[in-house]
Amino acid sequence: MTTAVQADLVRFAGVTKTYSNGFTALAPIDLTIGPGKVVSIVGPSGCGKTTLLRMAGGLSSPTTGELSIGSTQNSYVFQDPTLMAWRNVLANTELVSRIRKVPRAETRRRAVEALRLVGLENVQKSLPRELSGGMRMRVSLARALASEPDLMLMDEPFAALDEFTRDRMADELIRLWRERRFGVLFITHSIREAVKIAHEVVVMASGPGRIVEIVESPSPPGTDPDAARDTDALDETVKYIGARLAAA
Amino acid sequence: MSIAEKTPATPPAQTPATPQAAARPTVPRKAPSGRTLLSFVLPPLVVLVIAVALWQALISLFGVPKFLVPAPLDVLAEIGPAIGTLVEPTLVTMGEAYGGFLLAAVVGFAVAFVMARWNVAERGLYPYMVLLQTIPIIAVAPILVVWLGPGPTTNTVVAAMIAVFPVTANTLTGLKSTDRNLVQLFAMAGASKRYEMSVLRIPYALPYVLTGLRIAAGSSVIGAIVGEFVAGIGGGQGGLGYVITSTAQQLLMPRLFLAVIAASCVSLLLFGLVRLVEVLALRRWHESAMSSDD
Repeated sequence: MTTAVQADLVRFAGVTKTYSNGFTALAPIDLTIGPGKVVSIVGPSGCGKTTLLRMAGGLSSPTTGELSIGSTQNSYVFQDPTLMAWRNVLANTELVSRIRKVPRAETRRRAVEALRLVGLENVQKSLPRELSGGMRMRVSLARALASEPDLMLMDEPFAALDEFTRDRMADELIRLWRERRFGVLFITHSIREAVKIAHEVVVMASGPGRIVEIVESPSPPGTDPDAARDTDALDETVKYIGARLAAA
Repeated sequence: MSIAEKTPATPPAQTPATPQAAARPTVPRKAPSGRTLLSFVLPPLVVLVIAVALWQALISLFGVPKFLVPAPLDVLAEIGPAIGTLVEPTLVTMGEAYGGFLLAAVVGFAVAFVMARWNVAERGLYPYMVLLQTIPIIAVAPILVVWLGPGPTTNTVVAAMIAVFPVTANTLTGLKSTDRNLVQLFAMAGASKRYEMSVLRIPYALPYVLTGLRIAAGSSVIGAIVGEFVAGIGGGQGGLGYVITSTAQQLLMPRLFLAVIAASCVSLLLFGLVRLVEVLALRRWHESAMSSDD
């Protein structure tokens, strides 16, 4: 059952998902994402992370339990940039607003502003193939930002990038969050990345997919990421989550 | 994060005139040099010269009579006397083949569109599209002659029938191969099926459509000539198929060879036009139309 509520962006209450072939992707899940909260999810492949994300985005329904979606504007960022190769950067960034029939001038203003936020205001007329992998990913981020979301759903968005670019993109996401304070549900395979960017880290296990523990981050996005990066607390949390994943 | 990040393949930019130019990673386009053009044209030209020389030498060496296999010089000598009798048939075949090609393009795209849009339409129509492809066109042509009468109309329909399947099959594949994540993004943003089709699926399918049209370009000329073999001239001016049949019966081999060469030229011209459209439409964003330097 899915209902709309105001307070939380998404609330899973005893939500399960079983596919028609009998495979149980998610055992009962309880999870709440409040307004402006950054929640990251870590877990092995097949533990139902993407299923959870798709449900939060309204793309899949729970089999049992209650899923309450309070966010009115969701945006999705995929593992790949997922851009239209024949459209330039500006047109790609305007896409969601155009689909939602936002007035043309407002669509343009949002897109230009989003591109400015990710530092790509000077490549508006370029095609995706003319950009590097990191820049394409930033166009994807700009497209999500331009839709002015209150919940950003991110499915391993930096997984295809090299470690250096990936690190910079995580910092960029934190900086953008500070400006906009949108909610984020962020799937990653990197425990360090999960701890670094989020208020809370959801640790999941498979067979069937379930939440093992929700761990609070010692360096939530409100703190200075550069200062927090090498603290003992962050390292300890990363080690702790690693141990929990190994034991699950 | 700085904007100065560049693709590894991007060579150092020259002094930029504007900040925008400074940030934009450009790939300079090189005009094809004389050497590049030569390396493109020379290999097939050398093969042609060797093949023709070998052909001429073998005919002369074994004294093969002209009515069996004409030597290249015989074919060349026939151009003058035959040109007047070949222009009109070439134009007739061209009209039939190109008309059939256009018909196949419109019908093929429309059928693929309907099949991609409604699954039930695909399940209902696709078996018959395959059936159409498997029926030997030479067997269908006499039926069309009975229905439509001999002449260009029948030949155009035969050309369209043989050319339609590659257009439909390729277009359908393209329309159904759209990036799943993009489709999901459109769905999440609340896009209508019509918007998704026009803004996402059709542009995404364009390279596939153009590949289908390229195959259809060759097929439609074959269809027109097969049609002419069967349907004949229908009281009007015959096409190249008619010239080929009649010159074969009279053993006018040099003229027959010229007719075959003219048919190839009709096919090559259409193929070249489709390729030109392909390059113009896709060169900025699709690998299939980019130069290897890009």
